[in-house]
Amino acid sequence: MFQAKARAEVLKEVVNVVSSLVDEAKFSVNADGLTLRAVDPAHIAMVDLSLGKDAFEEFKADETEIGIDIDKLAQFLKLAKSDDIVDLKHDEDKRRLNIVVGDITRRMSLIDTTGMSDPKVPNLKLDAIITIKGEDLIHGIRASETVSDHIALIANPEGFEMSCEGDMDQVHFRKSKKDLVSLESPSSVRSLFPLEYFSNMLKAVSSGTHVVLHLGNDFPVKMEFTIAGGKGAVRYLLAPRIESGD
Amino acid sequence: MGVDISALLRGKPVRLEDLTGRTVAIDAFNTIYQFLSSIRQPDGTPLMDRDGRVTSHLSGLFYRTSSLMQFGLRPAFVFDGAPPELKRKTIEARRAIREEAEKEWKLALERGDQKRALSLASRSSRLDKDMISESKSLLRLMGVPTIDAPSEGEAQMAYMVQKGDVWAGASQDFDALLFGTTTLLRNLTLAGRRRLPSGKFQDVVPEILKLGDVLSALEVTREQLVDMAILIGTDFNDGVHGIGPKRALVSIKRSGSLESLASEGKVEIPSGYEDIRKIFLDPPTTDEYILDWRMMDAEGIRRLMCDMHGFSVDRIDTILGKLDLAERSSHQRCLDQWG
Repeated sequence: MFQAKARAEVLKEVVNVVSSLVDEAKFSVNADGLTLRAVDPAHIAMVDLSLGKDAFEEFKADETEIGIDIDKLAQFLKLAKSDDIVDLKHDEDKRRLNIVVGDITRRMSLIDTTGMSDPKVPNLKLDAIITIKGEDLIHGIRASETVSDHIALIANPEGFEMSCEGDMDQVHFRKSKKDLVSLESPSSVRSLFPLEYFSNMLKAVSSGTHVVLHLGNDFPVKMEFTIAGGKGAVRYLLAPRIESGD
Repeated sequence: MGVDISALLRGKPVRLEDLTGRTVAIDAFNTIYQFLSSIRQPDGTPLMDRDGRVTSHLSGLFYRTSSLMQFGLRPAFVFDGAPPELKRKTIEARRAIREEAEKEWKLALERGDQKRALSLASRSSRLDKDMISESKSLLRLMGVPTIDAPSEGEAQMAYMVQKGDVWAGASQDFDALLFGTTTLLRNLTLAGRRRLPSGKFQDVVPEILKLGDVLSALEVTREQLVDMAILIGTDFNDGVHGIGPKRALVSIKRSGSLESLASEGKVEIPSGYEDIRKIFLDPPTTDEYILDWRMMDAEGIRRLMCDMHGFSVDRIDTILGKLDLAERSSHQRCLDQWG
């Protein structure tokens, strides 16, 4: 059983988090809220999302799984204004999610979740932890997007740096320790990432949110931030590129 | 080749695009034999260079492997070592079939029966030492790792998948599952249009088989799957007359194992079954391999393919250009590496 009411804005945030990686997703619901874990088809990135029940206006659920076509949900939510209340009701017998916004009712058929696996979260030891304002990170990424398709994230005891080197141009973005929210980087670490993925992951970061990056040497990056005014948590993992010459 | 349990299994289709960044161990002999049997002229004559040396294997390896690499796949080829003693009978039988097919092929050619000739020629494919060493040279020039298995290539492949050194193994043989390949890709090197021995074409899509899914769908353990295979017949034994995949499944599920099936007294189980089990469940494997995907050696490839074997420089260069592009974008890792 799953029955809930939520502000459209919250659901839009969830869709934003998930849609950059997968088209279809399996939400696990229980009395405490909902969670989702998924990897993109190329297994380059993983998303791990949890939304507590207090992120909803009303929430009642027993343990169940709901397979959603993210595109369909996104299309429907476009009809709703941020403050609109969206009414969600799982019809288990007909395997549908009934969604109501104002006068509109959408009976959305669900995806069979039996074949959908639960990805295993890799066990990573990442030495550097950088906490940065979301808007600063987004600013640095925007500056890099036209230059190359990959970006190096670098941390050392003094600060955090993003470096993007294309065939023609280069962009460097530097924040010293005092300009970051916090920095723990006992040594110097550097990993290279596909820029498009990284940029997509930032789509759901709202202004005023802090982003925590866990970084290693040629290791995946872990990116954490909150959504729904702190009532939901997002964790992304992104696999690195290995720099040429290896 | 291998045990025929296809009737019991269904793979999940997968697009090559979705395999970007994946490392895959490929059963080299299995793959090269496919090339030798399929890359032929309409009358069944294999591809040959000016000196009459067969080049079907080089053509297949070069074009197919490079197209996988263009999708960002990182292949490694595992070559068979010394075959288990028990396989000798199968190997001799195969040789006899090949020789017979070759004779009949020539007769069919004389008769002018092209369709029959092609079908027979496919069956006469032979892989000799020179062809194996040339195949390895070509792959290394392409920057692709080659691995020498101590015995069966599929056993080594399964071991590498189990260890997590590669994401999946690729072979057409279901034996790969018996050897414990937890993630098996079929049709990987055939994707696209494939010519059947009959001369007809068929669209072939790669598919994934997960050993765990196979076992839970059939409701058997891997040991029981091996026992089933022994009843049906493997490369190492003939199987029991009249027992096919479906009956083998029912029998093993009912009785639990070959021993208890034997004690029921209705079926005479193959002698030496314990040795066959051991080949599948505890085969010789090695840790002595390096998975190093390197830069390709374009000049070396041109020398081998064009100078030595008369492949068209233009066609080879076109592919080399695409490979160069793929190489530059092939440095993306996937998360599975950090399982």
